[in-house]
This record gives sequence, C-alpha cells and structure tokens, in this order.
Amino acid sequence: MLVLGIETSCDETAVGIVEDRLTLHANVIASQTDLHAPYGGVVPEVAARAHLEQLLPTIDRALVQSGARLSDVDAIAVTHGPGLVGALLVGVSAAKGLALAHDLPLLGVNHLRAHVEVAQLEYGDLTPPLVALVVSGGHTSIVVMDEDGTFRQLGSTIDDAAGEAFDKIARFIGLPFPGGPEIDKLAWGGDPSAYAFPRAMQHDGSYDMSLSGLKTAVVRELRRLEAAGQEPDLADVAASFQEAIVDVQLEKTLAAAAAEDIDQVVLAGGVAANSRLRQRFAAACETNGQRLVVPSIPLCTDNGAMVAASGSNLLAAGSSAGIDLAVDPNLPLAG
Amino acid sequence: MLVLGIESSTARSSVALVDDERVVASASLGIARRHGEFLAPAIRFCLTQAGIEVRDIHGVAVGLGPGLFTGLRVGIATAQAFAAARQLPTVGLCGLDVLAFEVRYSIRPICVTIDARRGELFWAFYRSVPGGVQRETEPRVGRVDELIAEIEAQGEEVLVVGDGALRERHRLQEAHVQLGGPEIAWPDATHLAQLALPRFVREETVRPEQLLPIYLRQADVRIGWEQRGRLRGGVAPEAST
Ligand SMILES: [Zn+2]
Repeated sequence: MLVLGIETSCDETAVGIVEDRLTLHANVIASQTDLHAPYGGVVPEVAARAHLEQLLPTIDRALVQSGARLSDVDAIAVTHGPGLVGALLVGVSAAKGLALAHDLPLLGVNHLRAHVEVAQLEYGDLTPPLVALVVSGGHTSIVVMDEDGTFRQLGSTIDDAAGEAFDKIARFIGLPFPGGPEIDKLAWGGDPSAYAFPRAMQHDGSYDMSLSGLKTAVVRELRRLEAAGQEPDLADVAASFQEAIVDVQLEKTLAAAAAEDIDQVVLAGGVAANSRLRQRFAAACETNGQRLVVPSIPLCTDNGAMVAASGSNLLAAGSSAGIDLAVDPNLPLAG
Repeated sequence: MLVLGIESSTARSSVALVDDERVVASASLGIARRHGEFLAPAIRFCLTQAGIEVRDIHGVAVGLGPGLFTGLRVGIATAQAFAAARQLPTVGLCGLDVLAFEVRYSIRPICVTIDARRGELFWAFYRSVPGGVQRETEPRVGRVDELIAEIEAQGEEVLVVGDGALRERHRLQEAHVQLGGPEIAWPDATHLAQLALPRFVREETVRPEQLLPIYLRQADVRIGWEQRGRLRGGVAPEAST
C-alpha cells in the first residue's frame, strides 16, 4: 500500500511517500526559511501563501523521486493539526482535491504523533511502550505511547517551545533565523558550565517545563555584562544556555521513563536535531540500559515522510477520515 | 463539455457542475468559517446527485479573488490538486468579474464591490457589452469614501452590487447609485463556471500550478507579524506591496 503524505502545518511545504508503513520512497521539502528570516520567526500569512505556491511542485517532485504515479497511490495522508490554521488548510484542501480526484481514502494525521511514528521508517516497527520527547519550534512535550499504540501526554512546556527559545536567544546575540542550528554550532566552541543559567521546574516532580525564565536570565546576563563593560564569550553563553535546555529535557524525560517503567526513549521534532541533546541522551540511555530511538535529522525536522508513515498506520488500522475532515490548530495528542 | 466550478473567495462558498446547456448541479453555503469543510463534500454531493463520474469532467474553474485570504486558498488548493490529479486544464477568474457577469444586462455602468474586512472594500467598474461585461478599471482595495468619489466621477447612475454594497448601503445611498440586493451579493460557482466555459472551448486555459490568488494587499503579513514575529523577537521589515 502506497501512502502519500502532505505536511503544511508550519513553515515547511513537504511531501513524503511511504510503502507498506515502513519503506520510504520519497521525502521532498520546500523550505520557507528564507521567507521568514527577515521577521525572525514564522509569519502565518507568509507561510500560507508560500504553501499554496509550493505544494503542487512539491507533490510532483515526490512522485518523480518515488517513481510512482498518482494513480499508483492508495491513500492520501495530511496533517490536520496542530499548527497554523491558514497553513494547515492549504494542505488539507489539496489532500481532499487529490482524494476526490482518484476516489482515495483520506487520512487525517496528528503532527505530534507523526513526529514519533516516523522512527518506524528507520528502526522498523516501534514496539511500545515508549517515552518520547517531542521538541521543536512549536512544541515541547513528553509523551507516552502505550502498548496498544495510544498516546498520552505527560507534560509540556507551560510557555515557550524549546525551538522558540533558541530562535529568541539567537536573535538577541545576532545570529540568523532559525536559531537552533546556529546556537548548536556556536556552542561547540563554548563551555557549557561557564554560566549557571536557571533550570526552571527541574525538580518539581512534574513533567511540565518552563523556558521563558531561562530566556530572560540569558538576556539579563548579557545586559549586565554590557553595562559592566565586559565582552561576553558568546560561545560560552550559547553552550550554557543550550545546556540548561538540554538538562531539563533530559532529566524530565528520563524521570518519566523511570516512573512509567519504560526502557525505550524516542527523540522527535526539529530540536531533536540538536547535537548536544542527541549526545546527552545517547550517553544517559546507554548508562541506564535504555534503548534510544532517534530519527536521522531530515526525519526530525518537519517533513512529509512522517505524515505518510503515520497515515500508513491509520490506514492499516482502518481509521480513515471523512472528506469533510476539519483542521484543528490545537489538535491534542491523545484521542 | 462539463466544467467543475469552485468559488470560495468571499463569505459564501459554492461549487457547480455546468455544461453547455445547463447547470447540472450546484451547492452553496453562506457560512465563511466552514469553507474548508464544505467544498470537498459539496463536490462529491454534486457528482453523486447528478450521477457523474470524475472522469467526465473536462475542466476546473476557480475564483481567484480578491477576497478573504483563507477561503480563497481553500478553493484554489482544492481546484489545483483536483485538476492536477486528473491532468485537467484550469481557468481562474476574478470574483468581481463573476459578479459583474451576473448583472450583465444592466444598462447602467456596473460597480462590483466585495467586503474586504477591516473597514475596506475591493471594487472594480464594468460596462455591458454584447455577450457579457467589460472591466473598465483594475480591481483595487480602499475605503468607502474613495469608492463614492469614483462612483460620482462616473457622472451617471451606477448599479452597485456585492456584499460590500450591502455593508455600506447607508453611505452609498449618498451617491447616485442603484443598489443590488443580497441575491447578487457574492460571486457564485454556477456563474463562474458559465463564464469560464467558453475559455475551455477556446483552450484559453492554464496549468493548475499557475492558479494563484489575486492579493490586493499585504496587510495580513503585518498582522501576522504582530501576532507571532514580535513574540519571537522579530523586527518588522518595511511594508511591501
Ligand atoms: Zn513539527
């Protein structure tokens, strides 16, 4: 069964094609990063306009990459939430057009679940239970996939998503958007213990996180140094800031795994491309004897393959959507 | 020749199947926020009720606005994908032209004006010609005062139609106008498809990816930035048009 997946929930126009749930045939992304860079963040109206211009060519390229024709496809999967409503509507409308044209089943994919399920393309069938950290510019959540394949959210950020914090701090120290990869690069030359930035809610026993205080602390420290006439070592600042984020995510995720008695951990989402996060999780999981599942970087950032993979699971489970599928910008993970 | 029409650029969305002789089937909805869920089921409804197979459709016509951004994109994305999947030719039409076509027998000059929200209107002026209407001004966006000035400049009584005319009827009555009612306030897919049909016959068509909305303003970019960009530390670039 060949499933074509469409992703337009934020600032990537992406299409993936997956066969029989596990085999990736195409993964094409038309990134809008350059369009949003002048604004220092994703502008919803700019995103929606660009999705409409990019989507058909992106579908075309994915079909060419896979060597399939649209008439070979068995179902159309599309992200219907969470995300930016205007952006989601472009993808969902196009998916309906394709489904109508060839009388194909339509599969409504949850973007957050898809970030986790994409791992099956590289690791084979996931064997729940597992704990996953879903971390990106739009979300920072700790979730559990139970044995029966259902998802539960244990906790999430109560303010900024981790990717948002990266963007904000990058901008403050003069790095381009998107900030995540830039901070990551800069931090390689820095000392992660140079500054003791706060780790909010680290030991409060919950699985929620807060990043706005950390952001403020970094900005305040830089202003203090400036006022004192001292030149900050930006590599040290980047490394210390990144370490504070990684510490909290790591500790909370592993605490969740321990409390749920689960020995499998999945890293998912765009910020899972962060090299320090990957390194610290790899080391910790090895020490604890836990299995760590981390998709390769092109499958961590928003992509169409994850939508096709998650859609394939829905198709296999017989849960296709109606042609009246609605978008839900706040689609919850569970249910 | 059978044409599928899709129009969702205003507060009303509609779909229609039209051939050379008649409107074969149509459906419409006047609730703007449901555009995204309405169009595809409505197309299926029309096909099923008329007993028509997808492969019997020869072309897809869609409204390009100007209008409400989100609905506009819902219609165009649906039309693009449907047409591309069936390798069908497409025609995109300005919604103002479609409304003017609906009142093509008017002896007066025609002004079509669509509610652009945020206190503004879209409009263009037309005149009847044999077989239809001719657009005399480029579509533009502006405030009702500017529209009234342009109507006065016509020097004769003008027929004003569209949901913009409904919204501004009290102000427009100051000018020398005849106002259209709610029955001709929104562009409709049946008229859209009828207006597009001769273009399919003459093969004046475009490829689906060439269908793009008519954006008369960039305002939403700024508003979007206000909501998201500043929170993320962005600096608004200079407004572009
Ligand atoms: Zn994502």
